Amino acid sequence: MDWLEDELRQALRRKDPSPDFEARVMAAARRRPVLTMPRWLAAAAALLVITSAGLGYRYHRGQAAKAQVMTAMRLTGSKLSRIQMQIKAARP
Amino acid sequence: MVFSVVYHFLHDRDTAEEIAQDVFLSLHRNLRAIQSAAHAGFWLRKVAVQRSIDASRKRMRRPQVALEDVAEPVARGVPADPMLGETLRRLIATLPETPRMVIVLRYQEDLDPTEIANLMAIPVSTVKSHLQRSLALLREKLVRRGVREE
Repeated sequence: MDWLEDELRQALRRKDPSPDFEARVMAAARRRPVLTMPRWLAAAAALLVITSAGLGYRYHRGQAAKAQVMTAMRLTGSKLSRIQMQIKAARP
Repeated sequence: MVFSVVYHFLHDRDTAEEIAQDVFLSLHRNLRAIQSAAHAGFWLRKVAVQRSIDASRKRMRRPQVALEDVAEPVARGVPADPMLGETLRRLIATLPETPRMVIVLRYQEDLDPTEIANLMAIPVSTVKSHLQRSLALLREKLVRRGVREE
């Protein structure tokens, strides 16, 4: 092996962190509770939100369509009664 | 291993401890994804490499000089550097990010070019050429400083 590679191995020998490093990491791990959500739960929550939004939109569209039908029926009803009255008036 | 990779890459003990702590906490959060001890080792190295490069980039945007990077006053006419290791570490610190990390992984972690390529997500040929060029550059700088004759 070449002298430079030997020197590099010497120069880059593993270094240790401060003696209290491990204790600090453990303390930090205890301080930060793991709040991560399992993937399946996140996916289920997203699906629920999307489905509810879809259902809400369909309900809203249904209500609008119902209102339109009711208006159309009211208009038709008034026209029919007007025609009926005209027929009655025209009879001898 | 984690602290040492970051330390030799950044040459700054405080930042290296901060990053190493962050890497271990990250492992703690992702324990479910770890399949074996070898996988944990690979994962730790990979995250340490990524965080070190990120820190180096941040530092380049906001230059900082660690106390240990400040050159000590040099006595007049020092013929040769008695502390070759320190000289080498300083020369390695002047290399660009990717070749610097390749050198650290090769000579500190004793990884072969294929392992380094996997870890850094770069082609093996790139790792090999970084190694060759960096060694040539370091050799040339050392010889120029009169540290070692060819």
